[in-house]
Amino acid sequence: MFKNEEMEINLGPQHPSTHGVLRVKLRLDGETITHCRPMIGYLHRGVEKICENQSFFQGQVWTDRMDYCSAVANNLGWVEANEKLFGITVPRRAQYIRTMLNEFNRLASHLIWLATHALDIGAMTVFLYAFREREDILDLNEAFCGSRLTTTAFRIGGLREDLPPGFEKMVHKFLAKFPTCLEEYENLLSENRIWKKRTVGVAKLNAEDAIAMGVTGPVLRAAGVAYDIRKAFPYAAYAEMDFEVPTRTEADTYARYLVRMAEMRQSARIIQQCMDGMPEGPVMAKLPKILRSEVNEVYHATESPKGEIGYYLVGEKGSLNPYRFHVRAPGFINLQSLPKMAEGGLIADIVAAIGTLDIVLGEIDR
Amino acid sequence: MPTPTLLQSLVITLIQCLLVVIFVFVVVPLTVFAERKVLGHLQQRLGSTRVASGHVGVTGWMNRGMWKWGRIPILSYWRGIPGLVADVLKLILKEDILPAKADKFVFFIAPALSMVAAVVVFAAVSFVPGVFFTFPTWFPYVGGLPVSGGIADINVGLLWILGVASVGVYGIVLAGWASNSKYPLLGGLRSAAQMVSYEVPLAISLLAPVVLSASLNFSEMSARMATGMPAWALVPQILGFLIYLTCGFAETNRLPFDMPEAENELVAGFHTEYSGMKFGFFYLAEYINMTVVAALASGFFLGGPWLLPFGLQGLLNPYLPGFLSWFGEPHAIFFVAKIIFILFTYIWVRGTIPRYRYDQVMSVAWKYLIPMALFNLLLAALVRCFAV
Amino acid sequence: MTDPNVPQTPETPEAPAGSYVYDYKAAPNRQIVMPKTVPLPSYRTYLAEQKAAAEADEAKWQKSLADYETAKAKAEAEGKDAPKPPVRPVPRKDDNDLKTPWPQEATDVDLLHLQACLGDKVEEIFEQAGELVCQVAKEAVLEALLLCRDDGKLGYEMLADQTATHYPAASDFAFSVVYHLTSISRRKRLRLRILVPEGFTPESACVVYPGANWMEREIYDMLGIRFANHPDMTRILCPEDWEGYPLRKDYPTVGWGQRDISFREDRGGMLDRIALEKAGQLGINLKQPKAD
Repeated sequence: MFKNEEMEINLGPQHPSTHGVLRVKLRLDGETITHCRPMIGYLHRGVEKICENQSFFQGQVWTDRMDYCSAVANNLGWVEANEKLFGITVPRRAQYIRTMLNEFNRLASHLIWLATHALDIGAMTVFLYAFREREDILDLNEAFCGSRLTTTAFRIGGLREDLPPGFEKMVHKFLAKFPTCLEEYENLLSENRIWKKRTVGVAKLNAEDAIAMGVTGPVLRAAGVAYDIRKAFPYAAYAEMDFEVPTRTEADTYARYLVRMAEMRQSARIIQQCMDGMPEGPVMAKLPKILRSEVNEVYHATESPKGEIGYYLVGEKGSLNPYRFHVRAPGFINLQSLPKMAEGGLIADIVAAIGTLDIVLGEIDR
Repeated sequence: MPTPTLLQSLVITLIQCLLVVIFVFVVVPLTVFAERKVLGHLQQRLGSTRVASGHVGVTGWMNRGMWKWGRIPILSYWRGIPGLVADVLKLILKEDILPAKADKFVFFIAPALSMVAAVVVFAAVSFVPGVFFTFPTWFPYVGGLPVSGGIADINVGLLWILGVASVGVYGIVLAGWASNSKYPLLGGLRSAAQMVSYEVPLAISLLAPVVLSASLNFSEMSARMATGMPAWALVPQILGFLIYLTCGFAETNRLPFDMPEAENELVAGFHTEYSGMKFGFFYLAEYINMTVVAALASGFFLGGPWLLPFGLQGLLNPYLPGFLSWFGEPHAIFFVAKIIFILFTYIWVRGTIPRYRYDQVMSVAWKYLIPMALFNLLLAALVRCFAV
Repeated sequence: MTDPNVPQTPETPEAPAGSYVYDYKAAPNRQIVMPKTVPLPSYRTYLAEQKAAAEADEAKWQKSLADYETAKAKAEAEGKDAPKPPVRPVPRKDDNDLKTPWPQEATDVDLLHLQACLGDKVEEIFEQAGELVCQVAKEAVLEALLLCRDDGKLGYEMLADQTATHYPAASDFAFSVVYHLTSISRRKRLRLRILVPEGFTPESACVVYPGANWMEREIYDMLGIRFANHPDMTRILCPEDWEGYPLRKDYPTVGWGQRDISFREDRGGMLDRIALEKAGQLGINLKQPKAD
């Protein structure tokens, strides 16, 4: 008379908390998730194919549109991979400006993560507080390159323009107020009982699993592995910067929250150091008008706010466009661990798990 | 004072009903508006300042008009008011979609059930004890007759309120079931479990005023809980008030307990498949329920129509100078002010804290609230036995 | 009611036969140009090329010397002035900040250790642009990955990336599959590479690195390389019924039925009209005089 059946339910592709068009096929036993299968590809635009048919300079605009929340970090990876491919040395001032803008971008991306993650868990005020500060960072982007979100901030070989006049003042103004803003978020969340109940011990992923799955970024660091590409394989001007890699050992959602908050503080520190030690000089290397590649293949990884973003480029002799272009998108690899995090948990926990992975479907589907 | 005939008393009751409905339908839209504005201020933004997408037609006319008024400093705050009208218009004019495999009758009846259960509770709520006002003698037909402070100040008022309020959960459960869709079903099941659980501590926390005041009549209870007892006997009821308020949040499905419609998990919960005015009914019912909970809280715990809660009025009254004696008397305005304060608390909490997980909601009810409510009841019983 | 005897005209145009057919007459500039070279970086090939280039250079030089000798002899015979002796061209020096990273001989201990352990299963080791590359035999990839992960001297704990490249111009293989390994503890990166012919199913890396699951699915989806012993070899980004493998070099960049849209196209004649109006304001008659 009574049947015990598991319910299959589709979380997404249109769902308020899947951060885009992620679809997760869930099998539920009551409210408990017994099986979880993420299904992606709803935003697939064939970025790799497109970039293989465009020149090295044109491909850069596509990197903006992969992870649109951290376009500057994607640009940085792209231009550095190309510089590695061609063997270009970038002027030191350009490196510093790149580092600074990259850290601003990390702040913006972490803020948008904080906003949406908190909104997923139900704290809606943090959302707007975080967007308030992100707006200032977007203004800085606009002052530097005229565009707020899809920046195309850098060029292969350096920068197109030096910093605009008055930029330093804007940065100092931002840095002066940012620590108090961070405290504001932490006052709302860090010791909030409900926030802790929703995040402590939720969506655990221990270090062994994380490394085996290739998970990088704050998710890995919250498991106690101090793997930050800025320290491990320094690029841009990070070798000259003094900063720490925050880690936690709890490997749960709350630890990831704490790691990201600490990372924001470190980012502010790096920006300060960049502004203080900004060298003078040119911002663009001397390059031939047309860049033609030699037979070469490079894999260049940088630390995007989401994790390790790697660009794999294969150059053909005398070619204007890459023979093969591949992106190792951090979100793509990190999302693989979603079943491990969510299975056995409640349906509300998968929302926390998706939020804590900080995925952007633009880079996952490419 | 003349005794009214049956017909006259019916007319008076009709007028009272009209007043209550007007009260409800004034307070509810204003709560919606206040929610927008208060949340806006909590989140450092302006809140609603215009009607969405209105450059032409009626909404455009409203927008332009209010924008002109907005130049006057105080009125500028109220520029979003036409948005309420536009929202209601939108709800009424929107297409009413019936899912293909829904149970038509139940799908239709569920919002009505929610709505009716929420409004009917007001029958037993007394805004002020005794006479609210008397019709002037020149008034046709009912001239010179008194109008009491509640529609039906019956002697089992609390039972009526609890009974009718628990019918409201059927609206949600049936809506979730009748939609024949997975997310509403989950929402409906969640709300069934949650509301049944929270009914228990809610009722127990309301038993303490019953024990203390030895009555089930709304106006008697509020009178005793305000001035009928010494303050030391009533101040411990702060605990009861907090328990009641927490349960009230859960009963009305507001943050941090908005499980049935947790929008980030269940899309929109039980009303995912509803549109148009049927959705509007759920929306209205939620806000009316909030008002009901606020009315009960202010009636039983916050001293009802008296100025000060928890028996403090009794301490104050002997020292009130004559010209301030107005503050020593019960007035409906105090009652409404307390309702508004609790409604504000709802919005305040919503802007501040995140949402509980479903299992945590249940554990809060069974592990913490029920033992605390029982303890509170024991406390009230001891006070009643030995002191009063 | 439709009459079954009357052949019905299809409402939609016929879908082209074949897997992906595109009418290149509509957009000739989108014609696929198949690559003619095999840009597979390799120290051996580089050395061979360098050697060939040096030989060609030398041959050219010898030829110009010989030419000079003959020209000189001819001029002497004819009593004319001797021609200028040839100058060996020096490679032009540019002042660009650009130094092409050529492949170099492997000196890194990891590569040498790998070669020592795997013996002749290692086909090639070299370094380029500061990256370590090790090409192993396609059958030995699992063994190499296991060694990289478990060997105390190597310790590459993480598979950072796995991807493949299509080389249609190559004769003995069709794809290269590359594994980018990261050692978190030793702060090193290594690229393992295998060359795979069409139809070959390399062993899946999932047993060694579970994270390879989605990457291999993506390779299958995009390039059509199937992996043996993979837990879930299905398409990941494209729909399950998608035809063809988009990242192969013979896959078109436009789908069938797609048009090249020129944004300068004057559809409604609007630009024409504006030009006429502007001209009218300036008192210029742009209209063609009607032939009487």
